[in-house]
Amino acid sequence: MTDKQKYTGNDMIVTNDVDKIYPNGCHALKKVTTNIQRGEVVVIIGPSGSGKSTYLRTLNQLETISSGEIIVDGVKMYADDTNINKLRENIGMVFQSFNLFPHLSVRENVMLAPLKVAGRSKADVISEAEVLLTRVGLAEKMDIYPNQLSGGQQQRVAIARALAMKPDMMLFDEPTSALDPEMVGEVLDVMKSLAAEGMTMVVVTHEMGFANEVADRVLFMEDGVLLVDDIPENIFGKVTNHVRLQKFLSNIR
Amino acid sequence: MNEKPNKLKWHVLFIITIGLISAGIYSASQTINYKWQWHLVLPYIVDTSPIDIIAQGDASAAVDAEGVITLTFDNGAPSRVITGADQVLISDGDLIFEGDLLARKEGVRSGVLIDGLYMTLKISVISLFFSIIIGLMTALMRISDNPFSKNLSILYIEIIRGTPLLVQIFIVYFFLGTIFDLDRFTSGVVALSVFTGAYVAEILRSGIQSISAGQMEAARSLGMTYTKAMTYVILPQAFKRTLPPMAGQLINLIKDSSLVSVISITDLTKAGREVVSGSFATFEVWFTVAGLYLVLTFTLSWGIQRIEKRLANNDR
Repeated sequence: MTDKQKYTGNDMIVTNDVDKIYPNGCHALKKVTTNIQRGEVVVIIGPSGSGKSTYLRTLNQLETISSGEIIVDGVKMYADDTNINKLRENIGMVFQSFNLFPHLSVRENVMLAPLKVAGRSKADVISEAEVLLTRVGLAEKMDIYPNQLSGGQQQRVAIARALAMKPDMMLFDEPTSALDPEMVGEVLDVMKSLAAEGMTMVVVTHEMGFANEVADRVLFMEDGVLLVDDIPENIFGKVTNHVRLQKFLSNIR
Repeated sequence: MNEKPNKLKWHVLFIITIGLISAGIYSASQTINYKWQWHLVLPYIVDTSPIDIIAQGDASAAVDAEGVITLTFDNGAPSRVITGADQVLISDGDLIFEGDLLARKEGVRSGVLIDGLYMTLKISVISLFFSIIIGLMTALMRISDNPFSKNLSILYIEIIRGTPLLVQIFIVYFFLGTIFDLDRFTSGVVALSVFTGAYVAEILRSGIQSISAGQMEAARSLGMTYTKAMTYVILPQAFKRTLPPMAGQLINLIKDSSLVSVISITDLTKAGREVVSGSFATFEVWFTVAGLYLVLTFTLSWGIQRIEKRLANNDR
């Protein structure tokens, strides 16, 4: 009762003092605290090994945390009565390596979760899959298998597959890092259109242009610590007074 | 470079080699002064000998003009009418005692070897079914984080792989069979399924673990439970990937089933032994038995290759 009141309805994801220590002793996240608002697009940047992917993966419990708390849409993720599968239905995720199901056609990839998780009728799901695939520009590829698609096409199918469960928020884990440069644009375009529709998005990426253009807020992480949490203008503008961030940005430019 | 004539040369060489080996085997068998009598094997494949009709009890018999025998039993059991006999060996009014030969019928039956082949097929198919179920359950326990399931499956796999099948068959038949009152056939099926299950488990485990972790993560991130992710995402891919080693293991199952002949199940091998002692055509019978095993194993591997090809069309 009190938990839900404590957080305003605008908070989609609340993370308080999130710590992650791997069994091998690696301290991946150190007291990460931030709130992500409904409809907000948050981009996480930082050098590799900074914990940004780990942090993203804790948001749907693909990675468990060592201490702290995560509250998604008012639900405490680590409460005893929390059904993580139910929670994940509401959180779409897109991976760096696409992870499409190779034994299923493009259409079946999109339909699988609505059919088997939401338990909806096949007729419904078929037409919805067509709408989603049309939206990501792959209407004519519906009946072929993922490995006959280019990387960019595969990633767009993966986005459609995540959207099929009608999630309220989407997590993107370096969605363009495994793509050939000429295919990055098509994936970013789909993500931009999602952002324009008001989808809550958390994106780990190295695409600074995308971050600057689309993000409402940029998080800079290093060594498991959330160092900078600011609007893109202050991050990418000429006067960044944060030394570490300055160094990171100048390295990738 | 045109490779066609080159390949033709090797095909020809292959046929010549096979021909030479065959000729060598033939001439070697000539030197030992063995008289090949293949026709002796035929009755054990297709049995055309007349079928004996035997009396099941003491009775008095009546035989009419058409050769129809009517038996009236002394103990008051319902009388038995025998029609269509080709050769009647009793006459009207005879007193019949239990076990007497009454008549003979012409007919074509499967021979002992074919009956044995059917028994081998039956025991293999039933064991195949159970070994896949046992193997799947064990594989899932083997990869689980739960120490209980994991250790239990490792113990099972190690014990089964570390002891000979022949010994396992004896233990199941004489020990478990006595405790649980199992018949020969059930004992044979239990021993073969438990044995093959351990190998199937290891094949499936390696198949499941060869699927990238991202597949499970993608499935779970869509809200699937572990069970659903396994059922719809991981296992279909793992099964496909493990088809070739699985084919080998299932062919082994058919061949291993020959060992159940030691507990007096009349499978193909036991039938072969019986036929040898009846016909003395030792060489011919064992070549025939080998041929019949090949029919089973070729059919199975052909079937699995068909499945493989069909699945390969889906994705490469």
